[in-house]
Amino acid sequence: MSHDISTIRPRLVASDKSLADVSNDICRPIENKPSTSWKVGFTLAVIFLGLLGVTLAITTLIGVGTWGLNKTVQWGWDITNFVFWVGIGHAGTLISAILLLFRQKWRMSINRSAEAMTIFAVICAAIFPLFHMGRIWVGAYWVLPLPNAFGSLWVNFNSPLLWDVFAITTYFSVSLLFWYLGLIPDIATIRDRATTKGRKFWYNFFSMGWTGSTRTWNRYEIVSLILAGISTPLVLSVHTIVSMDFATSVVPGWHTTIFPPYFVAGAIFSGFGMVLTLLIVARKVMNYEDYITIGHLEAMAKVVMLTGTLVGLAYITEFFIAAYSGVEYEQYAFINRATGPYWWAYWSMMTCNLIAPQVFWFKWARTTPWFIFMLSIVVNVGMWFERFVIIVTSLHREYLPSGWAMYSPTWVEIGIFLGTFGLFFTCFFLFSKFLPVINMSEVKAILKDKE
Amino acid sequence: MANKTTYWKGEEELVKTPEFQASVKNEFNESLPLDEIFSENNFELNSNRRDFLKFFGFSVTAVALAACNKAPVRKAIPYLVKPEEVTPGIANYYNSTCGACSTGCGVQVKVREGRPIKIDGNEYSYSGGGLCSTGQASILSLYDTARLAGPMKGKSQSDWDVIDAEITKALASSKKVALITESIHSPSSLSVIKDFSAKYNTEHITYDSASYSGIIKANEDGFGKAVVPSYDFSKAKVVVSFAADFLGTWISPVEFSKDFVKTRIPSKEGKMSRHYQFESNLSMTGTNADIRFPMKQSQEALFLSTLYNKVASLKSVAQIPVSKQLNLAGNVLDNAAKDLNDNAGSSLVISGSNDPYIQQLVNSLNMLLGNYGSTIDLVNHSNQFKGQDSTFEKFVSEAKSGMYDTVIFWGANPTYSYHNTKALEEALVGIKTKISFASILDETGESVNYVCPDNHYLESWGDAEPKKGKLQILQPTISPVFNTRQAEVSLLTWAGLGAKPEVDPFAGKQIMAEKHDTSIYYTYVKNYWFQNVAGVNTEEAFNKVLHDGVFAVTNIEESILSYNIQASALAPELSKLVSSENATDLILYQKTAIKDGKNSNNPWLQEVPDPVSKVTWDNYLAIPKAYAEKNKLAQGDMVKVSLGNITVEKLPVHIQPGQANNTVSLAIGYGRLGKAAQKGVFEKIGKNAYPFTQFVNGTRQWVASGVSVEKVDGTYELAMTQTHHTIEGRDLLREATAAEYKEDNSAGNNMKRPHMYTIWETHEYKREGHPGHYWAMAIDLNACTGCGSCVVACSIENNVPVVGREEVRRRREMHWIRIDRYYAFENTAKTEYLPKDNSNFEGDFITKEKGLEAIDKLESKSGGEFAHYENVKVIHQPVMCQHCDQAPCETVCPVLATTHSTEGLNQMTYNRCIGTKYCANNCPFKVRRFNWFRYNDNDKFDFFFNNDLGKMVINPDVTVRTRGVMEKCSMCVQRIQDGKLKAKRERRTLNDGEIKMACQRTCPTNAIVFGDLNDKESEVSKLYRNQRSYHLLEELNVQTSVKYLTKIRNN
Repeated sequence: MSHDISTIRPRLVASDKSLADVSNDICRPIENKPSTSWKVGFTLAVIFLGLLGVTLAITTLIGVGTWGLNKTVQWGWDITNFVFWVGIGHAGTLISAILLLFRQKWRMSINRSAEAMTIFAVICAAIFPLFHMGRIWVGAYWVLPLPNAFGSLWVNFNSPLLWDVFAITTYFSVSLLFWYLGLIPDIATIRDRATTKGRKFWYNFFSMGWTGSTRTWNRYEIVSLILAGISTPLVLSVHTIVSMDFATSVVPGWHTTIFPPYFVAGAIFSGFGMVLTLLIVARKVMNYEDYITIGHLEAMAKVVMLTGTLVGLAYITEFFIAAYSGVEYEQYAFINRATGPYWWAYWSMMTCNLIAPQVFWFKWARTTPWFIFMLSIVVNVGMWFERFVIIVTSLHREYLPSGWAMYSPTWVEIGIFLGTFGLFFTCFFLFSKFLPVINMSEVKAILKDKE
Repeated sequence: MANKTTYWKGEEELVKTPEFQASVKNEFNESLPLDEIFSENNFELNSNRRDFLKFFGFSVTAVALAACNKAPVRKAIPYLVKPEEVTPGIANYYNSTCGACSTGCGVQVKVREGRPIKIDGNEYSYSGGGLCSTGQASILSLYDTARLAGPMKGKSQSDWDVIDAEITKALASSKKVALITESIHSPSSLSVIKDFSAKYNTEHITYDSASYSGIIKANEDGFGKAVVPSYDFSKAKVVVSFAADFLGTWISPVEFSKDFVKTRIPSKEGKMSRHYQFESNLSMTGTNADIRFPMKQSQEALFLSTLYNKVASLKSVAQIPVSKQLNLAGNVLDNAAKDLNDNAGSSLVISGSNDPYIQQLVNSLNMLLGNYGSTIDLVNHSNQFKGQDSTFEKFVSEAKSGMYDTVIFWGANPTYSYHNTKALEEALVGIKTKISFASILDETGESVNYVCPDNHYLESWGDAEPKKGKLQILQPTISPVFNTRQAEVSLLTWAGLGAKPEVDPFAGKQIMAEKHDTSIYYTYVKNYWFQNVAGVNTEEAFNKVLHDGVFAVTNIEESILSYNIQASALAPELSKLVSSENATDLILYQKTAIKDGKNSNNPWLQEVPDPVSKVTWDNYLAIPKAYAEKNKLAQGDMVKVSLGNITVEKLPVHIQPGQANNTVSLAIGYGRLGKAAQKGVFEKIGKNAYPFTQFVNGTRQWVASGVSVEKVDGTYELAMTQTHHTIEGRDLLREATAAEYKEDNSAGNNMKRPHMYTIWETHEYKREGHPGHYWAMAIDLNACTGCGSCVVACSIENNVPVVGREEVRRRREMHWIRIDRYYAFENTAKTEYLPKDNSNFEGDFITKEKGLEAIDKLESKSGGEFAHYENVKVIHQPVMCQHCDQAPCETVCPVLATTHSTEGLNQMTYNRCIGTKYCANNCPFKVRRFNWFRYNDNDKFDFFFNNDLGKMVINPDVTVRTRGVMEKCSMCVQRIQDGKLKAKRERRTLNDGEIKMACQRTCPTNAIVFGDLNDKESEVSKLYRNQRSYHLLEELNVQTSVKYLTKIRNN
């Protein structure tokens, strides 16, 4: 690869790392015994995973009635969490696909973990639409577009929920492929360094006969580019379609044409929030500060600021459109969001998503890891509230005031939500133990590069 | 070329041996070695160790496999000999009389395969074709597991023979027997009592827990007739009601609702009756009034005498001397007096008071207006309530003095409902033999020596005469479910008049035997009719009565009444009744479903929301906002209510708009006590309010003054099906005044309609000239009184589960039809404080929460009277699935579980549903109900769906839904199908009105009309063309198949 190397900008990889250093640094956690902090974290994650098991078992065995839903608010934390996790899953593809196409080299040290995060987040997300169904034992496959014998022959292609099924499964499979493809050279590296029999066997198996020849590299690059091309529209399509779950309905507060771009911006926003949360911790714990530099964090902070402002714009636009439309139900839905019984959720959302990220206008804020970490948490919280506001505050006061009701979750719903964090982190800890969290082969290519 | 080569199976075929030719005809042309296998000799010979192992292995495997399959236990047994009139799958209908309360409406019982599963009104009866929620739900009392399975001696099960012998002995040695019954108007039952009295010295005492003694006494004093009169609301152009809830609970609500609503549908010229209501608690009747005035009920005498005087002055006759002439806001009494006078002879003044003097004044006023003979009929009077409180009072004191050795309770439960339980206890202690006919061990039944459970009315023979001359029949629709015996048969048996029991082949085998068959009573009833009813003296005639359910007798009694009360003479007594204005009144009232509490062990009645407060499963202290504000009480607080030395602890508070200031209300019929309650659902539901009744002027009073309310620790969440009460200024309910309507028949409904665009194709059934049906419904908001009987009827018809208090609190009731009730608060503050541009305060009535809160704040600051809470306007709107032609729910279901039929129905396919709940979220009317749990066979929902007996009430035509699926109103698709098939079988087209929805069928006021829009002459088509009709949420263009008709108020 030939390109100009700036003499002014800082390097993408700090310190003077040699190629061997990269391999050594990144393979260290895989080849060494797990650290105490890993064990503690992993145990905690598994405990929460257990909670997920228990709460999902209760839901399935006793019924969705163990949740706090009612005749008016029939989606609550379940779909809030679904959209939340799908949103988080967005950064991975965005970083790997779009930034690849734009040849943003700074992505290279973070894309691996971001993609892993995507996959785990989508798994977490999938739990909610599955388990919110009254009859998961049939629903899990009745929604698939297979000819059936229940009288309808086909599923309903008009339903946004069906589009969801397509969108999420496509997204998941492409992301998984993309991630795995990128892993192959690195797995081969570990294979080559392996000292134990077991490790040799398994990494050999998963490296799929990688030889490192020019021809393989050539094909690798081509397939990467093709997959990046396929993934790019997915970044937009998944959340667009998720937003249509709401936008195509007649519920005031859902029935909004701005939803697709607004949801995509929100998803990228929350995705980057989550990437920041994870990487700031990971770089510290795993001593990867040289690979994931302040420059990376700053770049992501800028994306957070931009997308945060975008969703803020969308919030305000919604209000304007509601006022401008002259539809009283629409107007009430938005006034109710800001001033009704769930006002605290709305203002949490506004504060976290629109106001808080504005601090990234200041260089200090963008370059101070602990501060970015705090703000990334704020972003995550804010985006969770955004989904809660959209779903619950729209539903709880709809057209006929007689049906107006309040909704609050039960411990089972809270348990499932916490449990999905358990699942997510269990996966993430396993990933960090068994696979290289930074793409070695790509980082090696940019060792001498600058921004 | 065809192949002509022939192949033979063998030589035999070629040669055609006779053996071969014979064997060809057999299926197995070589004989099977069956003999070899089955003959024991050969079996032994041919089986060896290997065979044994083969057989052994096969049998073990077969048994193991068979054991894997849990074979369902089939409890349905086919008929050995099919009764001629029973065709499985086809319902039979029998006309009978409702026994839920003593009102005795005529009913038609639907029986499927020997099980009664539904009760509806008999349209030929005096009560019309409607039925109230209590009557609807009473079918479940038949299948109540709390019912006694057989006679009890003391606390233990016994045998009829043993009990009969002992009781007969005890009766023979009794010097006097007290027979305490609720009101009985069955001529044959009364004849039984007469026969019984002839044998034993018996005093028949009628005890009604909520009696109409005041009216009876006033009529006795005034006309010499101790009866409750018949009222004809259909003739009344003006009704002035003083706290009489005549649409909900007063005397004969179904009949009154039917008649009243006849005058409420405005003619083209805007003519309709006018209804004034003066009351303390906001009753269902009050919500329907044109003009409602919040009256402190202890001042009722003052209101009435003022009204009397105003009418008298218009008529220029003598007035009553009163200490104070009332001047009410808006000159309500003047207007009422003028309206009454203008419509003298076709007006009606009634009072819910149980005080004889107040009732005498009411009588005088009606006399003055000449309403007797038109709207009030003392000749063809009512028999529905005969109880006089003083007779029971007399019994208690006489019993104390040891006058009775035997007491029999029949339908009366004074231990629960009598106010002075201590005196009653003392009185009963001295009585040697106490017998109860209670079918569920009630409070009184617990303290008696013998409980001889009566049949449910659906298992009984009998007759009824709810109104003089209006005879009805009572016939069984099922053999007794338990080893119970009709009370009349018991009495006859003890009097030695029962047919001698034949030898019982099934004795002791727990099989319903012939012995207790009520057919002896059938003979008795028949004979009674033959002897006493003119025109019924043959089997044919009697069978016709059985068929029709009703029989009218012309009354030849004189109709000239002499009235001997001077209104002015009442003044001193009336002035005594008026208590201090500052004392807080306690109003005891009945709820539309639970009424006096007799039927409180019925989950349907507990779960149907109160028409006004929308509270289920509890009674509560209804307090006005001003009172709450003054005493720092909030919704859900707990209070202690005391009146004299009577105290009820821990009563939840409900702030009730419309409640008159300085009054609080409490419903009777709750707080059933004792061990009896433990078996049923009525355990620990609400608090008993009966002890608050006071015995004044020879009657029990439902109003008490000087009650004190004290806040106690704790809060209690009432389970309500509606928690937001204002309509937020939305165009969901259209209304106009009669005057506006007179000007323009589309008043209130003449706004500019939005332009409609759609991306969907028009349905086939909506195209011009389409031969099929297009089902639709029209609901007249002027006819709907909000009583909620449709809610119960729908639940019964469609197997809607009861979910219980906790689930209602979580807003998860399953009702397919609900009645939305909205309050509009009088804009008392409109001129004084408020900014002109604020849309929250538009108009004379506030419908927005924010506006209400603002006025509340102002009133609170100025220590005001919260008059806006007292003066509320109420509207009821039944809402069920609107069967949108462009249904939002249909497009979003991923698995096509909800689809559109070719006849315009929105259908739910339960088996396809996976429970994403998206359809419910996308339903603008919020009519979809999700099965959050499994509601059948689940101990957490221990109502009728959790036991085999209760499940007998399930309608076999409707699926019982499983956990995790969505459900909603199907527009009784099973009834549509049934009607269509019937017409098809008879090779004719469907007639309009032939198919009736369950809600429509039970509606006493015919507010709901269902039919085919493709039939241009159908009733529903006509209503669709009515200028009052409109679609709910028209602007969404979902094209609902339900239209509402504008509410017209005559104020």
